[in-house]
Amino acid sequence: MLQRSLGLIVLLLLGLVLAAEPGQAGGHTLNILDRDASAFNREVRGLLVWVMGFAALVFVVVTGALVYVTVKFRRTGKETGEPEQLHGNDRLEVAWTVIPTVIVLIIFGLTAQSMFKLDRPTPGAMVVEVRGWQFWWDFHYKDYGVRNSNELILPVGKPVRFEITGGDGTNYDVIHSFRIASMVGARDAIPGVVTHIEVTPEKIGTYYGQCVELCGASHANMRFRVKVVPQEEFDRWIEGARAFQAAQPTDPTLVRGQELYKQQCAGCHALKGVSQGAPSNPDLTFFGNRTTVGAGMWPNVPEYLEPWIKNSPGMKPGVKMPAFPNLSDEDVKAIAAYLMSHKVEGLDFSKLEKF
Amino acid sequence: MGFWAAVWDLLTTSDHKKVGMIYLVTSFVAFGLSGLMAVAIRWQLAGPERQFLVGDAYNQVLTLHGATMLFFFIIPAGLSGFGNFILPLMLGERDVALPRINAFAAWLFVFSAALLYTSLFFGGAPDVGWTFYYPFSRTTGLGTDFFMMGVLLVGLSSLLGAANFAATVYNLRAKGMGLWKMPIFVWAIFATSMLSLFALAGITAASLTVLLSRKLGLSLFDPVIGGDPVLFQQFFWFYSHPAVYIMLLPYLGIAAEVSSTFARKPVFGYRFMVFALVGIAVVGFLVWAHHMFTVGESLLFQLVFVFFTVLVAVPTGVKIFNLLGTLWGGQLDFKTPLLFVMGFMFNFLLGGITGVMLAVVPFDYQVQDSYFVVAHFHNVLMAGSGFLAFAGLYYWWPKITGRMYPEFWGKVHFWLFLVGYLITFMPQYVLGFLGMPRRYYTYPDGLYLWNELNFASTVGAVILALGGIAWLIAMVQSFRQNVKAPDNPWGGYTLEWATSSPPPSYNFAVQFPTVFKSERPLYDWEKEGLKPTPVDPATIHLPAPTVWPFMTAVGLLITGIGISLAPNLGNAPVGGVAGWGGWLAVGLVLFIYSLFQWALRKEYDHPVVHHTVTGKSNAWVGMAWFIVSEIALFGILIAGYLYLRLTGAAVPPEDHRPALWLALLNTFFLVASSFTVHYAHHDLRTNKFSPFKLGMLISILLGVVFFLFQIWEFAIASGHYVEALNAAGQSEAAQKAALWFTAFFLIVGLHGAHVLIGGTGLALAYAQGLAGKIDSHEQGTLEGSSMYWHLVDAVWLFIVTIFYIW
Repeated sequence: MLQRSLGLIVLLLLGLVLAAEPGQAGGHTLNILDRDASAFNREVRGLLVWVMGFAALVFVVVTGALVYVTVKFRRTGKETGEPEQLHGNDRLEVAWTVIPTVIVLIIFGLTAQSMFKLDRPTPGAMVVEVRGWQFWWDFHYKDYGVRNSNELILPVGKPVRFEITGGDGTNYDVIHSFRIASMVGARDAIPGVVTHIEVTPEKIGTYYGQCVELCGASHANMRFRVKVVPQEEFDRWIEGARAFQAAQPTDPTLVRGQELYKQQCAGCHALKGVSQGAPSNPDLTFFGNRTTVGAGMWPNVPEYLEPWIKNSPGMKPGVKMPAFPNLSDEDVKAIAAYLMSHKVEGLDFSKLEKF
Repeated sequence: MGFWAAVWDLLTTSDHKKVGMIYLVTSFVAFGLSGLMAVAIRWQLAGPERQFLVGDAYNQVLTLHGATMLFFFIIPAGLSGFGNFILPLMLGERDVALPRINAFAAWLFVFSAALLYTSLFFGGAPDVGWTFYYPFSRTTGLGTDFFMMGVLLVGLSSLLGAANFAATVYNLRAKGMGLWKMPIFVWAIFATSMLSLFALAGITAASLTVLLSRKLGLSLFDPVIGGDPVLFQQFFWFYSHPAVYIMLLPYLGIAAEVSSTFARKPVFGYRFMVFALVGIAVVGFLVWAHHMFTVGESLLFQLVFVFFTVLVAVPTGVKIFNLLGTLWGGQLDFKTPLLFVMGFMFNFLLGGITGVMLAVVPFDYQVQDSYFVVAHFHNVLMAGSGFLAFAGLYYWWPKITGRMYPEFWGKVHFWLFLVGYLITFMPQYVLGFLGMPRRYYTYPDGLYLWNELNFASTVGAVILALGGIAWLIAMVQSFRQNVKAPDNPWGGYTLEWATSSPPPSYNFAVQFPTVFKSERPLYDWEKEGLKPTPVDPATIHLPAPTVWPFMTAVGLLITGIGISLAPNLGNAPVGGVAGWGGWLAVGLVLFIYSLFQWALRKEYDHPVVHHTVTGKSNAWVGMAWFIVSEIALFGILIAGYLYLRLTGAAVPPEDHRPALWLALLNTFFLVASSFTVHYAHHDLRTNKFSPFKLGMLISILLGVVFFLFQIWEFAIASGHYVEALNAAGQSEAAQKAALWFTAFFLIVGLHGAHVLIGGTGLALAYAQGLAGKIDSHEQGTLEGSSMYWHLVDAVWLFIVTIFYIW
């Protein structure tokens, strides 16, 4: 019974490992070992090859021994007398102390080497300040004086250094952890502390960002998107963003939207040229360029944006924005239209793969 | 015995077997309960965007699942449960070293679990994760206050239990049983107790500072005054990583016993097994920061912890290889306990391998707080330690209950657990590679394989639940079939098998041979034809039953509820449930009253002579080990202070420093009281009662004077503290002064609390003296409390140096 089960287990494991190779079907693949996305991932892959090699060796030896013991030394009832009363073997003890020590020291050496490599700062990296708030992300392009919330636009092939903290250095939030799955590992966003990590994105596309430190009711709903775009597109975006000033609307819906925005939203949210808001709330300046709403939660389409404006606590537990039950459907539509009217023209990030 | 008589017996007992039962029943019930919570978690995650447990509700279940499994199942089941029941039997003794302290610790353990769950009646369970990271843990509701109180009380319980084990192993062993002839399980409990005593201070410091931050706004971690939130994690993991070995070592002991018995061989490499246990315990202290690779510490700091983290795999591997060596060449009888050991070895191997993977830091960055980590620690704890908890349960079931269990249902239980385990957790490794973070109550549709793997994992959880049912059937059937267990059903080699099943209250009515050739006395004696000589049970005296340890624990429970419900004057959401003061007052009065009643009751009704291996009394050895934990507590908090001070974050105010002359005056009082206690103790030993009583009275009064001066000092200092706090936003000097004051109140205040505790200890001895309960032979609490008082004195000298002089 035991042998058969062990066989089954091995099969199951193999199946799972095979399944883990990114396939075609079944939606977007997050793959933390995506070798095309960054040198960081390739470094991790390189390490894992070694570690998995040793792991396989240890696994085979120990499970082999387990299976052998199970088969060979099972009591049959036909034994006469007791088994040999062996108390130990010093040579064996030395062997199974020394060999694992050598293995773990090799792993330590490789790890150390790799850590030194990844820790080396890249000269000329673009600095993006990352601030974690319950339950959304704020990004400040320090070199350009541009702020964008919940969506991170990065040029392909250019090193970027993230400076990460919880809150903004004056107002403190809880601890979050910043991770772009498939691109680079996690780094904690700790109030009062600035941590950093660097990466050079190498593949154009949309990446999925997450919070990976329990931070409250909507820890699971604290996502963001990273858009890795060609340098030329990034330059257009950042130039447009720097020059951006909200235009005075003429369309009656947008005028109504602006009026409502100023009454209801401006106290908390920033919109360049319209309202200052507070740093502890998301910036809405380039809302028309956003592909998602609610901190990377839903596609930025009226179907989600409008109910979000009206009743965000109903969609995302623990969110700090209140519900606005007094707003009529028309009011909400007007606000939504007003928000969507603000964007850097000539860019469409939604043409990147959506998910 | 009627039902109420049985209940009364349980409340008043200090029998280590019944105490062990209290732990075992509580912890296995806790396992069942939090197992059901795990199923609830998997039910929510069976598919994307499900609405079964959302947001805070999910976080509450998550926190309760983790906290209950760790603090109330996996830590106590092996160490306190089997440890209490089996260890004195294995040592061939009648009881543990400190039976009444032991009973008190057991009830305190039960009540700290009760305290955690009491939060459900006051607005909800804690929702901060079992790790209660700061500052998240100061932003949440009342449940967190209950959680912090529960952690503090269960910590105290653990320390008392560990000191008792250490004293037992030191002092009480069958005549002729040297340290190197103790069964591996005894070594495992011993090593684990050491670990607890040295490490527990970390979580005490962490939970105490979070509680004080919530209640009084005293926080070393608050960035507003330049504190460091990462320091919380250092405190927390300083315990919580060694705790992983506290959760493992007792079970490795069980694995060795089971393997040896069912292979009909001695353990392979006995000495190396012990070296490995001790090696794990020592190296286990230097790996805590591997939980914190993503907090951005320096490269060197990380490398040190990588080194020790990979290194700890070596002694752990040695344990596994020696277990294999024990089975090799044996005549393996695949009964349920051995099956669980086999299941453990396979799964622990996976957990060990993935553990080394996690030490590869760049990979750790990628899978930090992902499902890879979830799968890894369940591999180690659930299918590792947890499986061995069941191995121990089935192995000792006949001894504990006096009945055999149905082998069929035991095996069904094992196979369902093994298969269920693998189906639950193997997909989670893959989910880690596919980018799924842990502690998420929901996930979106449309990510490759997330739906399928999560569904598979839930199916596995359901199979585990079925395994749980099989386990229940096995236990119920055992009682229904009522097959009487023989003394030694498996042919075990250690002394617990040399008495009836279940053992009588006095354990053994025999005098054992004094020749111990190896760790297998029963085997050796049979070969050599040695036999125990009978003793008349009527000549055996056991400690007298008393309800006061229980009542003292009740007092602490009610006090704990009172403190939890008290208003939050710090940064946390306002607490302050009406009636908190009543709870607190009743709790404290009951606690103090019961404590004195307990002290005034002699341990034995009959005069008895204690023989101890070391020649020191049990109280002395127990207190000596307990003091290790106190030194560790001050050590870790002072280390935190030194860090903040040396990095320039905390600077004492130039003009409003607490006065040195007052501190020196207080030093005089405290040092003087140490001398008076010493002489009082000497007077007692030489039977001079009047000077003894006078000396005690003077010592207590000196302590009171110290305490009153300190209150006065604190009243003045708190004014300056509030000033600094208010000015912290504008002035950097004020901010640094505020942090310094925080450390001052925290550490000096904790010392003040120790003066109070130590003074109470002296008062207990004084009361015993007045009541004529102690003499030169029976020194009551004096031995312990005088030693404790000297500790309070010594710590004060450090405090004067680093807070008043430096």
